[in-house]
Amino acid sequence: MMRSRPVARLHELQLLVWVAALSITGYLAVVAAASGRFAWLELVVPAVALAIFGLLHIFLVSIGFRGDQLLLPLAVGLTAIGFILVERLAPGLLLQQLSWLVIAAGAFCVTILIPRDLSALSRYKYTWALVGLLLLISPLLPVVGREINGARIWVGIRGIAQFEPWELVKIALVIFFAAYLEEHREMLSTPPRRIGPIPVPPLPYLLPIVGMWLVAMLVMVFEKDLGATLLFFGIFLAMLYLATGEPFYVVVGLLLLVGGGFVAYHAFNHVAARVDVWLAPFSSDLRFDTGYQLTQGLFSLANAGLFGAGLGNGMPERIPVVWSDFVFDAFTEEVGFVGALALLALYLVFVYRGMLIALRAPTTFLQLLAAGLSFIIAFQTLVIVGGNAKLIPLTGITLPFVAYGGSSLVTNFMLVGLLLRVSDITARVRR
Amino acid sequence: MEITFAVLLWGVRIAFLVLLYLFLIRAFRTLQRSLAEERVTMAARSVGLAVLVVTLSHAGGPRVGERLPLRAVNSVGRDAGNDVVLNDDAASAKHAVVSFADGEWWLEDAGSTNGTLLNGTRVWERERVHYGDQVQVGRIALRLERVQ
Repeated sequence: MMRSRPVARLHELQLLVWVAALSITGYLAVVAAASGRFAWLELVVPAVALAIFGLLHIFLVSIGFRGDQLLLPLAVGLTAIGFILVERLAPGLLLQQLSWLVIAAGAFCVTILIPRDLSALSRYKYTWALVGLLLLISPLLPVVGREINGARIWVGIRGIAQFEPWELVKIALVIFFAAYLEEHREMLSTPPRRIGPIPVPPLPYLLPIVGMWLVAMLVMVFEKDLGATLLFFGIFLAMLYLATGEPFYVVVGLLLLVGGGFVAYHAFNHVAARVDVWLAPFSSDLRFDTGYQLTQGLFSLANAGLFGAGLGNGMPERIPVVWSDFVFDAFTEEVGFVGALALLALYLVFVYRGMLIALRAPTTFLQLLAAGLSFIIAFQTLVIVGGNAKLIPLTGITLPFVAYGGSSLVTNFMLVGLLLRVSDITARVRR
Repeated sequence: MEITFAVLLWGVRIAFLVLLYLFLIRAFRTLQRSLAEERVTMAARSVGLAVLVVTLSHAGGPRVGERLPLRAVNSVGRDAGNDVVLNDDAASAKHAVVSFADGEWWLEDAGSTNGTLLNGTRVWERERVHYGDQVQVGRIALRLERVQ
């Protein structure tokens, strides 16, 4: 990245001030409701978090960054809401989340500075594919792999730290897809042969993508992570369609997904259990068993009403593992439909902005990269909010930025960093 | 004391919701503002300062009704390197220059073989062009129009 003189980022600063006000107020309400008095001293934690956000802003200003000014405040605002919810739902995890935020901020700065030329990422696309594969397989390895809550998706050492490599795989895969599709979009969208309306690209061009998909599917089966499989496949289809404009691939992909889902439902117990819970969570044998989490979440949502119970006034702690799986329900219960709407609107603005960055990007690779990254956020939000509301089967995907979880926080900040890089390049090219 | 605390707490809770929406509105406004800026620059880039509308043409030439965007200085002619390219046998490779200076539009012949006509009269030196005026180059007639 080019170094240059500092530039003011006034819109960003202004929005960050609103984030600060929002974060302090929400945190104060939660702490006051829990302790019965206004405990000003407890505001140290959000203050530290805000200081980190401020440092990120100063960092961008000092390196003369010209990228987007809206994405960082949005990401940071959502993270601030996340901190309020962690304090509300699992105060014991707050310091851990704060230390993850420090790592995430570091990862963000590294992403902004390295590599100097973002397009260099596309030159090592098979390296990214390989890195993605290794990360995917890593939880299956004997010593470091861990199985938690029935999903073998963790890497770590007992009692020290655990990480979900899947989160990083998302980014590696988007880079790989963007680079691969940039190189071969011609061949995939206008192949030399067509059977009726069906494009038939030469087999070698499809192999890396299909191979990647197959391996990932197999690994998912062994790691028992439904949400990741769904997300992976969604990214894959969306980017394929963006690059080629060929609806045929999407139709085939969806058919594969439906077929795969059908087979998985009958072949694997953990898939069948998820679907059964989704279909009838209140049935007598599921209500207090595997359906307990979902039904408690539904009660929580039902209690929300228009304006909610008030921060700290609801009972979302009755949902098991609420801080990572059901933050949307918990937030909605306490701030109501009105608050939930605002939260979803924040995601909408984020994704819209990301897609605009993609539209304006100067090269196909950067366009696909930005679109793929925005799509990750959109798709994750859709899948987890849909799961929490019993619209679709519940999966283990996290609500971006808001849900408790170190790996996802770090990855999402890297994702924002990459999106900002793309917009920075656009701004420099256009000037 | 108890009641004051409860009232204050509700105040803080409501303030949180209000701030959430104020932040959202701010974000929306930033988004909207940058979209508006984008629209202006895009308009300036693609539509130009003014347009020449094709009013008379022939097979192989520009379509009648086509709007050719103008910049501050535009060369007009048959050559592909011109700002306004007119595919016409009667037009010279570099035929005329349309420029914007001192708040006015000007037309100048660039030493063409068949000459440039402004409202039916041949142009010998730099002449002022008003919006709605007719410029003829070879067999193609163009009308200067404002950008909406």
